[in-house]
Amino acid sequence: MSLQMSEAEGAVKVEEWQQTFYAPDSGIQSGATTIRDEDSVSARAGESATDMEAQYSLTRAQRVRAAMFPETLVEGETALTAHSNPDQPTNVQRLAEPSQLLKTAIVHLINYQDDAELATRAVPELTKLLADEDQVVVNKAALIVNQLTRKEASRRVLMQSPQMVSAVVRAMQNTGDLETARCAASVLHSLSHQREGLLAIFKSGGIPALVRMLSSPMESVLFYAITTLHNLLLHQEGAKMAVRLADGLQRMVPLLKKTNPKFLAITTDCLQLLSYGNQESKLIILANGGPESLVFIMRNHNYEKLLWTTSRVLKVLSVCPSNKPAIVDAGGMQALGQHLTGSSQRLTQNCLWTLRNLSDAATKQEGLDGLLQILVSQLGSDDVNMLTCATGILSNLTCNNARNKALVTQSGGVEALIHAVLRAGEKEDVAEPAVCALRHLTSRHPDAELAQNAVRLHYGIPAITKLLGQPHYWPVVKATVGLIRNLALCPANQAPLRESGTIPRLVNLLLKAHQETQRHGSGAQQTYQDGVRMEEIVEGCTGALHILARDPINRGEIASMQTIPLFVQLLYSYVENIKRVSAGVLCELALDKQCAEMIDAEGASAPLMELLHSPNEGIATYAAAVLFRISEDKSSDYRKRVSVELTHSLFKHDPAAWEMAHAAMPLDPGYIPDGVSALVSGVCVCFCLNVGVLTSVTVGFIEFIHLKSPSVTSPPSVSRVLHHVKLLEIWMQFTLHMVTLIYPWMASRWTLSYMSNICQK
Amino acid sequence: MNREEAPGKSPEEMYIQQKVRVLLMLKKMGSNLTPNEEAFLRNYAGVVHSQMSQLPQHPIDQGAEDVVMAFSRSETEDRRQ
Repeated sequence: MSLQMSEAEGAVKVEEWQQTFYAPDSGIQSGATTIRDEDSVSARAGESATDMEAQYSLTRAQRVRAAMFPETLVEGETALTAHSNPDQPTNVQRLAEPSQLLKTAIVHLINYQDDAELATRAVPELTKLLADEDQVVVNKAALIVNQLTRKEASRRVLMQSPQMVSAVVRAMQNTGDLETARCAASVLHSLSHQREGLLAIFKSGGIPALVRMLSSPMESVLFYAITTLHNLLLHQEGAKMAVRLADGLQRMVPLLKKTNPKFLAITTDCLQLLSYGNQESKLIILANGGPESLVFIMRNHNYEKLLWTTSRVLKVLSVCPSNKPAIVDAGGMQALGQHLTGSSQRLTQNCLWTLRNLSDAATKQEGLDGLLQILVSQLGSDDVNMLTCATGILSNLTCNNARNKALVTQSGGVEALIHAVLRAGEKEDVAEPAVCALRHLTSRHPDAELAQNAVRLHYGIPAITKLLGQPHYWPVVKATVGLIRNLALCPANQAPLRESGTIPRLVNLLLKAHQETQRHGSGAQQTYQDGVRMEEIVEGCTGALHILARDPINRGEIASMQTIPLFVQLLYSYVENIKRVSAGVLCELALDKQCAEMIDAEGASAPLMELLHSPNEGIATYAAAVLFRISEDKSSDYRKRVSVELTHSLFKHDPAAWEMAHAAMPLDPGYIPDGVSALVSGVCVCFCLNVGVLTSVTVGFIEFIHLKSPSVTSPPSVSRVLHHVKLLEIWMQFTLHMVTLIYPWMASRWTLSYMSNICQK
Repeated sequence: MNREEAPGKSPEEMYIQQKVRVLLMLKKMGSNLTPNEEAFLRNYAGVVHSQMSQLPQHPIDQGAEDVVMAFSRSETEDRRQ
């Protein structure tokens, strides 16, 4: 039906119009002149005026017609104007455009009504034809319905007919003819642009049918199906569940292998809509090879909208613990890193968030050199989102990866991270990962010392120390004390750290954290603040002070803050790392004799003796060193005990050490060999115990003989014998006392080691 | 425990060996020694030489290990453009 009216039709319309309520012929179509009373020529004006008016009347009618229906002008004909002043348009000129619009609207209304009426009359019949057994009939009906959808009025009529929509859906899924399927899919696609149409499709079971169409070999059917499904997913409530139930994901993921960028953009957007917040959908995508296909798209396409939609799907999948390693293994980190320097801000940001999510699973990935360098350069951005992502990714990628650490250090990462810390202010999402990254760079790789020096050279120490101040955000504090500990490994940093007030801040933090742990009781109970255990703060602060104590001036400052009693108390901690760092700091402090005496005075020997038996070599070594240092002025027996304990711990696998330990060897050259001293001790003990018995037995024997044979035991002989025995007794007791005075504990030690030897066997 | 197999080391020698070992491990871990301890090692250079090969080759005390940060705890939906 043409919107354009021919002149003949126009004339017919006018005739009809004339028979209506509307005004008499205005002459627009008929060309009849308009006669108005005010325009009537007055006889009194004379014949010339009448002629002039008549001329004006004719011209006005023509002008109005020309203005409203310019298509009726004959070629070469122009509308005459009353006057030709361009600055003062006539009424007709002013009304020309509005009149055109009004005319068009009226034409549309007329057509709309016609279209609607036509469609209303056709829908029942077409519905029946769509269900016809003859596929040719169905095909023709589908074609007509498709054409009807081109007009808004008829389209509305179609979508308001549930029977029609259902018939279209059935025809689409049941037909074997591709053209019919195409027409039907096109119909649904057209209907899907209005909410009413979406609802009609949804209620008619259109979703399962459309999902089935995703397997069609015809590209146009695929396009109509995916686009219609996309509209449903965007705007129709319940559509997501319906698509999932119809196995939509399983059909969509294979479509990622298509090459058309716009098709892929819609498909990936569908996947994003379906998988956001739905773990099961993410797993289905994973099971169907989604990560590999998505990474392939990121690597091989450059259509911005497609890259953006794909990055959104990857972002959704990147929070799934199962998808994450699959994306990383498929080269996702490298592929996403390709798009960090483009002009599309939204693409860059999505890639960064995704990389951040994936980064903790990518610490062992190779081939990230380019990505790392880009991230270092992005640390100079003022965009807080970009900073948050760049610092987070760098923190994770430098975790336990010596190669990445070295690369970032050599690429100026230290300076860039320091600037990020300075700009972060109170933004913990930037500060914490930036400090963690610096902590990683300053330890456990060949260029660690370079990084430690770089922090100082770029004036990072004051800024880092400031992070220990209040208000305390404990994750940042924890990262900072670890960084300070690493920085102190560099001797050149010791003085700057001291001068920036690091030591009193660390001691105060240590006291505060330790008090918290004590308040909540000892044992396995752990106290958390901001998700950080206070035991970790205790360990971190003590560890930092341990390394700072390597400097003699720092050592004095640490000791002067009454920290030794606390460190000794920490030797009893149930946390092995705390024992290690407290033994370590005491080992450094014990270099100073006065501090060694203070440590001993605090009763550190007992816990240190226990720590000699620790399976941790570091703990045992520190404990042994402290004991050696505090026992320099102690008795040889004390040092011998240390040696024996060492033998039972650090040297327990040394058979010679065992032998020596169980033989209770002395430690000083003044000691006599063990065998002789043991013999002397044994003899003394035996005689000490037995000499009195010997005398008593002798006396008793003589008395017995005297009773039996008094003549034999004459008083003089008996007296002589008893006299000699008594002399022997006195001499031996004297000797025994002298021996025990010279060798204290000899007898008991020999007895103990003899007993322990028996037990070991 | 077979006493007959014990090598002929005196307790003094054992003490020296232990102390040398502990001091060498301290040096390996980066700790400082007192002047007396440094002199001790110089005096017993032979023991030092024999103990060096028995020291553990792996690093003993390098501080706390690196730890990853888990960022992917929740999804964030961006505005559809």
